[in-house]
Amino acid sequence: MNELLPQPEHDHFRAKAAASEHPRELIIDLLRAIQEHHGWVPDEGVELTAEILGLSPLQVEEIATFYDKIFRRPVGRKVIHYCDSICCWATGGEQVAAHLQQKLGIGPGETTADGAFTLLPSCCLGACGDAPAMMIELKLYGRLTPEKIDAALEKEKD
Amino acid sequence: MPTLTIDNQTVTVPDGTNVLEAAQQLGIVIPHFCYHEALGAVGSCRLCAMKFEQGPVKGIEMACMVQAQDGMVVSTVDAEAQELRAAVIEWLMLNHPHDCPVCDEGGECQLQDMTIAGGHGIRRYRGKKRTWINQDLGPFIEQEMNRCIQCYRCVRTYRDYCGGDDFGVMGSRNRVFFGRFKEGKLESPFSGNLADVCPTGVFTDKTCRFRSRSWDLQEAASICPHCSLGCSVIPGARYRELQRVRSGINRQTNGFFICDRGRFGYGHVNHPERPRTPKLQGADAAWPEALQLARRRLTDIAAKVGPEAIALLGSPRASLESLALLHDWAKQLGGARFCGDPQPGRDRAARQLTALLGSRARSLEDVRRSDCLLLVGSDPLNEAPLLGLAVRQAARRGARVIVIDPRPVELPCNFQRLSTGPEELPQRLEHLVSTTEPTDDLSTLRTLLHQAERPILCGGGDLLGEVGIRQLAAAADHFGTGLFVTLGGPNSYGAALLSGDGPDADQLCEEMLAGKIRALVCLENDPLADGPQRMARALGKLEFLLILDHAPNRLSRQADVFLPTTTVAEGSGTLVNNEGRMLSFSTVFNPGIPLGISSEGGHPPRSFSPTTAGGEPRPAWAVLAQLRGENQSPEMIRRKLEGRDSRFAGLSLLDPDGEGQRVRGGGHPAGSHDQSFPHPAPEGSLPLLVVEQLFGSEQLASLSPALDAVQPDPQVLLHPETAAARGLKEGDTIALHTELETFSLQLKLNAAMTPGLLLATRLRDTPLELFAPGSPTPCLVGKGGGDA
Ligand code: SF4
Ligand code: SF4
Ligand code: FES
Ligand code: FES
Repeated sequence: MNELLPQPEHDHFRAKAAASEHPRELIIDLLRAIQEHHGWVPDEGVELTAEILGLSPLQVEEIATFYDKIFRRPVGRKVIHYCDSICCWATGGEQVAAHLQQKLGIGPGETTADGAFTLLPSCCLGACGDAPAMMIELKLYGRLTPEKIDAALEKEKD
Repeated sequence: MPTLTIDNQTVTVPDGTNVLEAAQQLGIVIPHFCYHEALGAVGSCRLCAMKFEQGPVKGIEMACMVQAQDGMVVSTVDAEAQELRAAVIEWLMLNHPHDCPVCDEGGECQLQDMTIAGGHGIRRYRGKKRTWINQDLGPFIEQEMNRCIQCYRCVRTYRDYCGGDDFGVMGSRNRVFFGRFKEGKLESPFSGNLADVCPTGVFTDKTCRFRSRSWDLQEAASICPHCSLGCSVIPGARYRELQRVRSGINRQTNGFFICDRGRFGYGHVNHPERPRTPKLQGADAAWPEALQLARRRLTDIAAKVGPEAIALLGSPRASLESLALLHDWAKQLGGARFCGDPQPGRDRAARQLTALLGSRARSLEDVRRSDCLLLVGSDPLNEAPLLGLAVRQAARRGARVIVIDPRPVELPCNFQRLSTGPEELPQRLEHLVSTTEPTDDLSTLRTLLHQAERPILCGGGDLLGEVGIRQLAAAADHFGTGLFVTLGGPNSYGAALLSGDGPDADQLCEEMLAGKIRALVCLENDPLADGPQRMARALGKLEFLLILDHAPNRLSRQADVFLPTTTVAEGSGTLVNNEGRMLSFSTVFNPGIPLGISSEGGHPPRSFSPTTAGGEPRPAWAVLAQLRGENQSPEMIRRKLEGRDSRFAGLSLLDPDGEGQRVRGGGHPAGSHDQSFPHPAPEGSLPLLVVEQLFGSEQLASLSPALDAVQPDPQVLLHPETAAARGLKEGDTIALHTELETFSLQLKLNAAMTPGLLLATRLRDTPLELFAPGSPTPCLVGKGGGDA
């Protein structure tokens, strides 16, 4: 299981679960830890989470599939979340999406052939003041223009 | 009791009623999906809109979310409300495929009904629909996810009501999937209810997939014959074949749901080996010939040796009507011996219960409303599944649940376990009521029982036996609680009432062996499987054996006369459930070889005959009346019975769609019999406790092919400590030597059971079938298979 979660974290979550009255509340933390380590959450990750927290895999899967920032399929080295909610839409979000797709040569939900980027639409990133916005991994990019997008992609590709 | 006006009609409803329910009381049905009487209202489908014109609430509201209050004036026909409902239905239908012609739900589909009722007739949506890959959910339930309208009834039933955790909802927004983490059998013993609650064709009964439209099915209100609770069911038959069973509604017993044994155990009715013709020593015969011979032989024996030489043995799965005729026949013959149950342990337990239950009787509904439940020697999910479901409902409302049992009992709720060996159960109960006990592990329990407002003591007849039931009743008196004890079969209680203080099957065996009983009549039982262990020897002493049954019976070839009877679904009658509630069932269809069998999948046979092939079975009451040379009808039998025995008053007025009625007055405990001093257990032996399991133990359901896939493997359970002490480990094949026989089983370790005990499931058609459920037998354990 080491491949999914390093031993110290493993022990940490087990101890936390044992001390918690509602181990359910640790589902997201644990899934994120696995994702951090493994890149995405495979079935075994869901099962491991369930086992550590004393839940059924289904109970974990319900949470894992509800949140679009838990990846249940392999993703590229970095994930681009472009906002498709109302403020961004009103300020050119569709053009941002189109530019990203054209630039990367992939559609939403796809990963570039070199494995660098996965492109995902996202609901409001909480950056409406800086719309249109996107997030690459945890870094936020606002007031996007084609140029800014190109620069961001250049910077983020490693 | 608020009074409100809906569509210009005034209605007064109990406090807590919502406006949707209030409208229903006026016969106004507004489209709704998420509201369900048993699941409650959650206001999620947004369909039940009504206009609140006057009173404390104003405007358009979801009626299921508004409590009825005085002075409300509500309109269901308001244009705006109607328009909203039509729009919501249109949204719900966006992704729904147009596949009604190939959908098993078609014809009984709430979505079809509500769509039309909601005013949505023409589909305008032209876009792509959301589609899914379905999961294989095991042998019982078919999934067709594209049809889902996200009402969440399935999850609320499976998870919230039934306590299953392997089924749920995944995804978000307009892409939600209702299923399992991975494909596989739904684990809950109540999984079949998904077919009933899903208002669309997402979840349907796999065992009758593509078989019939609902309007082609013959259906009628009936009672489940697979345990002592008597849940209300609606079997459906077509082409002389019982094709499915769905849940009926009885708010006092099962409520709205049934278990998978009750739903999928129906195959015994269509069983290809079911005996359908009268037989004389195994050879087919005609009814008149067989009846005449049986009558003559019995009259001869009565005249030659005396009527006491005849024994009439009933069964907990026979109807009250048949048992009453059998009982009456004993008297008519001038003192023949009557016993209502071939299994002495269960028989004595049931009689003890009928003698003690009285005003302590509680229903499943009372269990659901209880605030403290103590279960002693009761394993609901295996012995009477709907009790487990009722216990869960109590727990959801905050009831404390305590289990005293040697088994690793599981319940779909939290509970506290006090592991106790089977022989110590009565003693435990004695301690519980003793006032001088120092503080022990029962003291909290005593306090709980004293403090609770609606406590109920639940028990299982198999493990408690008559002694345990006496103790449980004493404890109920002591704490002033109700009593709910499950018994062996659907009419154990009725059989016990009629048996009174007459002999039990053990005594009958004794008298058969002594040559005092020369003729035996068995009504719908298989005494070799369910009778006392010396029954096989005792049967050899008989001059005449008459069997009436509908199940493939081990004795049907050996009996001098065998007469085929109808099943519960093929006749009408009454069963008395474990709380003494008389429940009547009506005829669903007439017997006959299912066309599916006689036509072997092709065109039905082209030969014509005035009779139905395989239609010879007759209701047991009719056969018994004919044997007695009388003309009877079930109505006459019922009227006579209530006339001569006031405990059954009201029997003739029972409505199969009603809630049934408790018998008035109790029965007798069985006469004391000198328990031959038990052989001292051989040194080093362990008690072997054979118990009932959800699937595989109950005789009729074990004949249902739909349940083959869930038949458990025979195995024996030991506590890890006990196993370690004997050098045994998980997976070992161990030989079990009992007085009765020697056989070997795979060993499984279980830390939740009581140490020092061998635990096995009573599986039909295995050596374990021969053990009386609930009574431990001394057993020597050896390593390895065969004669170790
Ligand atoms: S599967 Fe059936 S019950 Fe479940 S949400 Fe969909 S339509 Fe409702
Ligand atoms: S609980 Fe008993 S009576 Fe009810 S459906 Fe199940 S087997 Fe039948
Ligand atoms: S709408 Fe795009 S960040 Fe809020
Ligand atoms: S029934 Fe009222 S909102 Fe669904």
